[in-house]
Amino acid sequence: MLETQGLCRTFTSDAIDYEVLKGIEITIKKGESVAIVGKSGSGKSTLMHLLACLDEPTSGSVSFEGRDYSRMSEKQRDRLRNEKFGFVFQQFFLNGRETVYENVVLPMRIRGASEKDLKPRALEALESVGLGDKSEKRAKDLSGGEKQRVCIARAIVGDPDVVFADEPTGNLDSKTSRTIEDLLLDLNRENGITVVIVTHDEDLARKCGRTIDLKDGRVRGVEPVPAELFAGREQ
Amino acid sequence: MRLWDLARTANRNLLRAKLRTFLTVMAIFVGAFTLCMTNGIGDGLRNYVELQVKTFEGDRILFVRKKFPQEMEEQINNTGPVEYKETSVDERGNEIDPNSVMVSLEQIKGLESDLPEVRSITPAFRMSAEYITVGGGKKYTVGLGMLSEGLVQKLEVGEMFDGSNQIILPIHLARAFDENVQNLVGQDATIAYRAGQERDLKTRDLKVVGVATKGMISNTNAFVDADTARSIYDEQNAESPNYNNFQNFTVQLERADDELVGSTKEKLEEKGFVAMGIEDIEKRTYDAIGILQVGLNLFALVALLAASFGIINTLVIAVMERTKEIGLQKALGMGRFRVFLLFALESVLIGFWGAMLGIVSAVGVGTAANAFLSSTYLESFEGFSLFAFKPLALGVVLLLVCVIAFLAGVMPAIRASRLNPIEALRYE
Repeated sequence: MLETQGLCRTFTSDAIDYEVLKGIEITIKKGESVAIVGKSGSGKSTLMHLLACLDEPTSGSVSFEGRDYSRMSEKQRDRLRNEKFGFVFQQFFLNGRETVYENVVLPMRIRGASEKDLKPRALEALESVGLGDKSEKRAKDLSGGEKQRVCIARAIVGDPDVVFADEPTGNLDSKTSRTIEDLLLDLNRENGITVVIVTHDEDLARKCGRTIDLKDGRVRGVEPVPAELFAGREQ
Repeated sequence: MRLWDLARTANRNLLRAKLRTFLTVMAIFVGAFTLCMTNGIGDGLRNYVELQVKTFEGDRILFVRKKFPQEMEEQINNTGPVEYKETSVDERGNEIDPNSVMVSLEQIKGLESDLPEVRSITPAFRMSAEYITVGGGKKYTVGLGMLSEGLVQKLEVGEMFDGSNQIILPIHLARAFDENVQNLVGQDATIAYRAGQERDLKTRDLKVVGVATKGMISNTNAFVDADTARSIYDEQNAESPNYNNFQNFTVQLERADDELVGSTKEKLEEKGFVAMGIEDIEKRTYDAIGILQVGLNLFALVALLAASFGIINTLVIAVMERTKEIGLQKALGMGRFRVFLLFALESVLIGFWGAMLGIVSAVGVGTAANAFLSSTYLESFEGFSLFAFKPLALGVVLLLVCVIAFLAGVMPAIRASRLNPIEALRYE
């Protein structure tokens, strides 16, 4: 479903090039749950941004369902992110002054959905993260765990194929973290949504079906290694 | 994102920083208010002049004067020295003095045969009266004017002339004779004037046929018909060296069609005259007011220009404050153009509310000022409202302010639309 070929990303700062990713070759299959792990600076966030079509590679390519991002127009990429992807960030990025409901429906509004379509979907999404009764609360009045649950609701309201989570438990205590982890992995198990999680939390990584371990911009190991992946390479 | 959602979001965003929005709106408000007021003064003046000038009509009438010597030389500004010219003689043997602005009666009469479809030409007979009275009552001083055939004065009561020895009274004077001016119509008015070498006081009885509506000239002047004017003029000026030389005359055409009026004007032009219809005279007055209005409006536009920098400032700050939010919106698939529109709409909304406030306040203040002024300083200017607000003009102000606000929003909106989502999300 998601595939990279010779993916490189170089950042230039003060005329010095930083090679963050050096030839990443990975494939993520539909319905997988994948953890991208590695030390800070290993390039895991950059990899996620490239997979999620938020950034453009210096060389190499990323494709979703066989469509190469570099061949898509800006509009098509915007639509891809809006319709096929959901996002969960470490810092939530909720609009504190708005209600939980307004925060959750944002992707749908961007999509241009009508008001009558929004309501049932938003309530369903909130229900599934256990916040069905909080829809009219201001987002800033929620606890950290609740905020992240709102973010998950926002990520799934548009019925995406892939949910990208960037350090989703980074700002939470361990008990709340478990709830969020379970929610994310439930999405994968029960709804068949592909989940890509960037984390340095080993517990979370272990719960995922597969771990992609990055070191210095290269894939150090993929465990457990699905047999079909190698089969694909040999062809 | 749908346009309605964008507009709603823009409005909510503005309400987030209430004080800042309010202050920016106030700056626009001041500009819009000033623009409404300055434009209102122009329209007020125009209305008043219209009221004054439009008191008489005559679309078949041309007012004619000889070209000034400066105009003959086609000098643009008439401050330069003018060369003296020898007198010449026209085709009929009339002596013409190019240095004078006066036209002789013979010359005027001669024109009748040169111009096609002219019904009559009437020289502007100047008269002066000592007093006027009705029914032997109180005597009042009065100015005497003439209405040549074809000119129609707006009347409160009565009819225009239908013969000679008739007079139309100004409304103030008429009221002095009788509060119910209707009673005056058909009565005889006696006017007294000096005539002859000895400047003897002579009187003449004229039938009152009507009472004129107020206007610039008809406020003080009584009007007599052309025949009466002619005979009074003769009595008063027969000994004058300038007798039968006139500064102006009127030409009455057979028809009022534009082509005939135009061609007659051209012919007169060729013969060294300047001819203007009532419309031309009105247009000149309106043009002068128009220039005044534009001048005043420029001041208001400067205020709006200053206020538009306030909008730019407000939006630049908003873009910085909301960088992360913009980053999120872009990450979630909101296109560049939509982000641009969102900020442009915020800008237009600031302009819209500022303009609405300005318009409503201007109409309120203007109406109150009109009421106050017309009962104090402007009491003598009956029918004059200093501020006139036309819905169309107010609509134009609203639109103009919105356009200015939009333009002010372009730069910040482009900045917002160009933000890179990843960098924006990382922004501290």
